[in-house]
Amino acid sequence: MQVRKRDGRLEPVDVNKIVRAVERWAGDLDEVDPLRVATKTINGLYDGASTAELDRLSIQTAAELTGEEPQYSKLAARLLVAYVAEEVRDQGVAAFSESIRYGHQLGLIGDTTADFVARHAAELDAAVDESNDLRFEYFGVRTVADRYLLRHPQTRLVVETPQYWLLRVACGLSSTAEEAIGFYRLMSSLAYLPSSPTLFNSGTRHTQMSSCFLVDSPRDELDSIYERYHQVARLSKFSGGIGISWSRVRGRGALIRGTNGTSNGIVPFLKTLDAGVAAVNQGGRRKGAACVYLEPWHPDIEQFLELRDNTGEDARRTHNLNLANWLPDEFMRRVEADGEWSLIDPSDAPDLPDLWGEEFEAAYRAAEKKAVKTVKARDLYGRMMRTLAQTGNGWMTFKDAANRLSNQTGAPGNVIHLSNLCTEILEVNSDEETAVCNLGSINLGAHVTADGVDWAKLRATVRTAVVFLDRVIDINYYPSQQAEASNPRWRPVGLGLMGLQDAFFTLRLPFDSDAARELSTAVQEEIFLTALEASVELAARFGPHPAYAETRAARGELHPQLWGAALGQPDRWSAVQAQIAEHGLRNSLLIAIAPTATIASIAGCYECIEPQVSNLFKRETMSGEFLQINTYLVRELKDRGLWTAPVRERIKRAEGSVADLAELPAEVRELFRTAWELPQRALIDLAAARAPFIDQSQSLNLFLSAPTIGKLSSMYLYAWKSGLKTTYYLRSRPATRIQQATVAVLPAQAAPAPSVASPSLAGPALSMAPVVALTLENPEVCEACQ
Amino acid sequence: MTTVSSPTRAVGQTHALLDPGMDLTLRPMRYPRFFDRFRDAIKNTWTVEEVDLHSDLADLAKLSAAERHLVSRLVAFFATGDTIVANNLVLNLYQHVNSPEGRLYLSRQLFEEAVHVQFYLNLLDTYVPDEDERTAAFAAVDNIPSIARKAEFCFRWIDSVFELRRLSTRDDRRAFLLNLICFAACIEGLFFYGAFAYVYFLRSRGLLHGLASGTNWVFRDESMHMAFAFDVIDTVRAEEPDLFDDRMRDEVRAMLAEAVECEVQFAEDLLEQGVSGMSPADMREYLQHVADRRLALLGIEPMYGSRNPFAFMELQDVQELSNFFERRVSAYQVGVTGTVSFDDEF
Repeated sequence: MQVRKRDGRLEPVDVNKIVRAVERWAGDLDEVDPLRVATKTINGLYDGASTAELDRLSIQTAAELTGEEPQYSKLAARLLVAYVAEEVRDQGVAAFSESIRYGHQLGLIGDTTADFVARHAAELDAAVDESNDLRFEYFGVRTVADRYLLRHPQTRLVVETPQYWLLRVACGLSSTAEEAIGFYRLMSSLAYLPSSPTLFNSGTRHTQMSSCFLVDSPRDELDSIYERYHQVARLSKFSGGIGISWSRVRGRGALIRGTNGTSNGIVPFLKTLDAGVAAVNQGGRRKGAACVYLEPWHPDIEQFLELRDNTGEDARRTHNLNLANWLPDEFMRRVEADGEWSLIDPSDAPDLPDLWGEEFEAAYRAAEKKAVKTVKARDLYGRMMRTLAQTGNGWMTFKDAANRLSNQTGAPGNVIHLSNLCTEILEVNSDEETAVCNLGSINLGAHVTADGVDWAKLRATVRTAVVFLDRVIDINYYPSQQAEASNPRWRPVGLGLMGLQDAFFTLRLPFDSDAARELSTAVQEEIFLTALEASVELAARFGPHPAYAETRAARGELHPQLWGAALGQPDRWSAVQAQIAEHGLRNSLLIAIAPTATIASIAGCYECIEPQVSNLFKRETMSGEFLQINTYLVRELKDRGLWTAPVRERIKRAEGSVADLAELPAEVRELFRTAWELPQRALIDLAAARAPFIDQSQSLNLFLSAPTIGKLSSMYLYAWKSGLKTTYYLRSRPATRIQQATVAVLPAQAAPAPSVASPSLAGPALSMAPVVALTLENPEVCEACQ
Repeated sequence: MTTVSSPTRAVGQTHALLDPGMDLTLRPMRYPRFFDRFRDAIKNTWTVEEVDLHSDLADLAKLSAAERHLVSRLVAFFATGDTIVANNLVLNLYQHVNSPEGRLYLSRQLFEEAVHVQFYLNLLDTYVPDEDERTAAFAAVDNIPSIARKAEFCFRWIDSVFELRRLSTRDDRRAFLLNLICFAACIEGLFFYGAFAYVYFLRSRGLLHGLASGTNWVFRDESMHMAFAFDVIDTVRAEEPDLFDDRMRDEVRAMLAEAVECEVQFAEDLLEQGVSGMSPADMREYLQHVADRRLALLGIEPMYGSRNPFAFMELQDVQELSNFFERRVSAYQVGVTGTVSFDDEF
């Protein structure tokens, strides 16, 4: 067999050459077998393939062995980094500053960053540390290579290596080389990563680095609705994730005075929004995405809940929009009391979206006289539950908790009207102001050892993170006038957390244990407290954010006090409160826990505050499919001599559960339970316990493999009563799944049915018993928040 | 064996599953498992409109000539594959599986086959803008030898029982079982499985996500179809064990061996221009591995002892966690039940 070299010459495939290339990167990976990778690669090759194809195939081949031995993921990552580095070198780029110069020539890098790097070239070039590449897992670096590294506009070749990329991101946000190098080191240690828009765009010519935009409902008039389409398209083009309310727009059947006709309601307008969002290609990377929020008194609420159904008239379906319910407490109380619920047209009660708490309740009751329709509150709630079960959409978010427990609602007229695409951002907005937030997440796993949390390191990370999140606000490009009007006034940021499950595994804490809840709360308190301290320091230097006087903090009320929460570090709280009284805060909001799907995979940790979904699962992304194994479990099994092909097969057959792996002691099986096996009450309890230390909110997914209306209605009532401001996806699993193609057929399956007397075949499960045959549900997540 | 001249309404009297007739009795239910399959299948409802093919067009432009050849052959196979299965279902299976709950499932399956046909039609219309090429894709069963040979195999087995109006004799039932096994194990269980492997190969390289997500749903349905067919086979085995004799075993093996050869020559055609990561030798091994699994399900010793060489197929066996922002998910359940309450465990 021959391969074609870059110069066109053919040469015989040499297995030893591949072995040597693999060995070069195997290094400390003692379980890796280079010969196996080489022979498997050659098996998949065809005569006359190019050497580039050979390289790519060897990377893929190594990656595909991850299921047997997780070290192959690291090997594949290194082979890929080497492949990318060669591509960069082949374009004549041998140093960081050269990649910036080249990128600038190509029109990719912005002038400011190009100048900055040119001025500090030697220092910055020396700071690049390729040994940090060794931290990457394959999925992470594949994602980076395919989507984050800047590419030549014509040839589509990458023009930066992973380390150049992180340094470029740092330089785009720094004013001195020292600062840039410090921030680069933090990111390349994978202890903290900003969200994707920052990772995509920092240092480039289009510095849109914010993740989230919260657009107020259009006013109840045509011009305003079309203005919103325009705004959404602009925001979407620059990779923002959009939340938009629609509660102010009149419902079906309402009178239109101008023409003496009646309205078709909100559905046709949302259909247009749906098409608009799908049409916009986010920076060439993907389609846009938006979440529409509606309050439950809106007359079109029932049609709204059907927008994602896959049956019915397609003209009334929106396949691209996400849906969320923005629920006043009054609704939940009537659900609980089994009361009536009135649907009221916004044209009859235009102030309802701007009211919350008692004022809302009074106005709502007064408006009930003009109700378009009256329903049983429980029937409507049941519809919401059904939508959640069938589509995962129709998120339950709570208007009153969101407003009551916000720093931004200190002055009359400042109202939070909705959350964002991932339900972790809660900020005031209005017709003139579109709320903006930029995000980043701490990898808690990188701050924990078996001995416990490294609190000093955590504090240092938070301080650096807050400075750079704050920096984004000034450097950012704002795609809409309304966004530009809001962000410099409020300067909110969203510092989040990922790898909570890693920390629990490292410390061997079951997700639903008291110790886990206490740790998660203590970590959140530490993060919030340190973030406040950092924001005061910024305020002392640069002044408080302009709208500071309108916040609750200005009145001496900090977020945990709004909750009446117990404090773990009361002295530090008093100290920071005193400092705030003196200097104010640079940022009206600091903490939000975003879903982090993409950056968690770059960092190689579990997503945000989530439990693991399975000990063995695959990710499907634009880059392909990737097997993910719980390496903590693998280590445990190896220590016990149980990491064998039969055990692997049993885990696979059990859909990644180890519940029935009797060789493992009960406490180990308990530790490695999956999200499907944990009581969801515990997830809510953990979220509620940390909530006083999150001044925005958290993207809290809930998991039920076989949801029923009864379970769901109990669960969401409990979430509301726990005081949570928002919840996110309901994840469920399909009723049946694809027949496993590579797991051995069980002997029992091949046995003949037991007897004529039991034609139901109640005996051994046949080829696909639905009980175990489940595929994990995976939710739609907003990349912007990642 | 009883033979009756008019459709039997076997109320209150027991009969075997393959006894001729038109059983209408759902209570007491003789085969509740069939009914469960029917209900589970309903929860998997999906529509073609949910499959988003927009990114595939960009991918198609990126493919090498060899990969494009692979895809165009694949699409040509898909163009008619599900229609053939649907025809057999109506012409043969529905007629002879004498159980109202079994027929409920088959009705559902027929609907699913129709959705698959619509999906592949939509795929073809999207992938192949040229009308003459579209016509050619539907003519592939006649014109492209590697597809024609598979089609010929299918038609031969449809025809083998086409004249049978009633399964009166042991030979009739044997013929019917072979037809059922052929469609479950060879056509849905091997031809389609082979085709899915190409799709998942491409997806593992990050290509043609639209095709792959639709295929996920098709694959999920096909898995159910096979499971139901094997339920029927096992039920018949329990009721009439003597049908499953050595002769039957040998015929099933010969049939599967022929199916593997049909699919291997299809693979050689698809991969003839060289696709890195998927060699015809590996594909043969994969098909043999799948054939062995089908035999195992039928309680027959494997013929090949081959192992699955495709790591990307192992990925199909584990839970998926896709980034829904990028693609839609195939996992939500349709048809959730219950009423509002506040004290359920969760």
